Amino acid sequence: MKEDRMARRIIVIGANAAGVEAASAARKKDRTAEITLMTQEKTAGYSRCGLPFVIGGQIPSFKDLIVYPLAYFQMLKLNLKTETKVTAINTNEKTVTAVDKAGATESLQYDSLVIATGAYAFMPPIRGREKQGILSLRNLEDGEQILQAVQNGAKSAVIMGAGLIGLETGVALIERGLKVTVVEMLPQILPHMLDADMAKLVEEHLREKGMCILTEKRVEEFLGGEEVTAIMAGGEKIEADLFISAFGVRANTKLAVDSGISIGETRAIKTNGRMETDVKDIYAAGDCVEAPSILTHKPLCAQLGTIAVRQGKVAGTNAGGGYALFSGILASAVTRLFDTEAGVTGLTEATAQRGKIEVVTGAISSKTKADYYPNALPIKVKLVVEKESQRIIGAQIIGGEEVTQRINAISFGIQKGMTVRELSKADTAYAPPLCETWEPMVLAAEMVLMKLR
Amino acid sequence: MVKVDNYELPEGLYYSTDFEWIKIEGDKVRMGITDYAQKQLREIVYAELPGAGTEVKQNEPYGTLESVKAVSDLVAAVSGTIEEVNAEVQSKPEILNEDPYVKGWLILVKPANLQAELANLMDFDKAIEWHKNQAK
Repeated sequence: MKEDRMARRIIVIGANAAGVEAASAARKKDRTAEITLMTQEKTAGYSRCGLPFVIGGQIPSFKDLIVYPLAYFQMLKLNLKTETKVTAINTNEKTVTAVDKAGATESLQYDSLVIATGAYAFMPPIRGREKQGILSLRNLEDGEQILQAVQNGAKSAVIMGAGLIGLETGVALIERGLKVTVVEMLPQILPHMLDADMAKLVEEHLREKGMCILTEKRVEEFLGGEEVTAIMAGGEKIEADLFISAFGVRANTKLAVDSGISIGETRAIKTNGRMETDVKDIYAAGDCVEAPSILTHKPLCAQLGTIAVRQGKVAGTNAGGGYALFSGILASAVTRLFDTEAGVTGLTEATAQRGKIEVVTGAISSKTKADYYPNALPIKVKLVVEKESQRIIGAQIIGGEEVTQRINAISFGIQKGMTVRELSKADTAYAPPLCETWEPMVLAAEMVLMKLR
Repeated sequence: MVKVDNYELPEGLYYSTDFEWIKIEGDKVRMGITDYAQKQLREIVYAELPGAGTEVKQNEPYGTLESVKAVSDLVAAVSGTIEEVNAEVQSKPEILNEDPYVKGWLILVKPANLQAELANLMDFDKAIEWHKNQAK
């Protein structure tokens, strides 16, 4: 006889990429569960990755970034509470305490919990950082503030940090007619994504488009009265109308830490293969967690939308009584800056070397169509291969077009343990208006093989 | 037929706030999901529907639709007894995405209390306003 049981209560903290995915997956596993999502933000289920493109004007409005409208939550019977801040998790009683917009506190019981609290824009301890007017780009309101400043007539901007968000925002502001200076502490742009040799190509392209890039310059101070009017960087004073901090993001772990959930070596929430934390029935996913690299098996806090949704799906499936495993992180990422695309998958040469992995690399410059065909664009493929096993462990591609699907192809190869010899024999397609006779990925593989001889 | 923010709304139907439409055909009522609903669910892969003879009640679930990403209850727009179920949507659920208003109908019902229950539904003009609010 079937036992009469109460509906499973699932609470998801956070309602963006990882949170909404987790709630949807939980609903698919359990049709009767009471599923509640809570977010501090006014808007749930929007695409953070799209923010720079609203600022740049390619997307008409921030509202267009809403991927999951309220109707979606209604259709899946997901109880969404926006502007609601979870203040505590009691892991013994299995409750969360939340405060809503009106200041009312309530305590909710859960059978399983998913923490998808995301990350926050990090601000290093720089003198003057309490001054007003230092913006970042993390949520919709940040985006609206930046766009407002542009519409109020800002003519120049300083962007602190040459990571993906910093550069995408810089490009957007140049497209809006601003003079943009990017300040980066490290000697290269996109330091977490590309090797210096590949980053150089992107940097040259950005300079040609008018972006002023200052590398190896640390932001030392924010200058001005109450409102910031300039920064000191590398001993140089840089004035601007708009200041954007893009120093990077850090996992939001306070709630987890306060409730006794373990944090790992990357300072993000530790998870196992089912995206469960070290407290039973509490799962975590997205920018706030770490999970193993497919290649090194060491924990990584990838902070990519793609990883967030994959982890969210696994966490939600398990929270809903199902069984799912997260297969690890390769960290594939692409971007487009003006008309140059840049992509990465797996390890860069620099990260491999830092991990004491002996590698051989090969880099090939080619064209995106037959060389004689009109409008063929340059493309460069760099492969990173582990010397001992001859397995491909990473790739970076910079080109005028057709970067993304090459990155994806190499990502599939890495996940299947493909060797560089296998890639050199790949049976690729060809037609003059679409690609070169010899696929540059294959040529790069041949180059690595020659070096391995 | 009008389009509200890319969502199609045919004239002559009544709509519920649970994303269903009905079409009155003599003494029968045909029921299905709106274009807005199918676009939220995306590629529908499974339609779980009750058999003929089953009674449905207004505002209560009578089946589910499952897509790659989502699963959603079908909530009856009116009460009545199911006379016919669209077998085609069960074997080819993609027609719910392709043609939710004609080929993708779900059930044909003999209504129990149609005149009274119509007051709980939106006519074409009200549905346009409602969809505009959804899309904003």
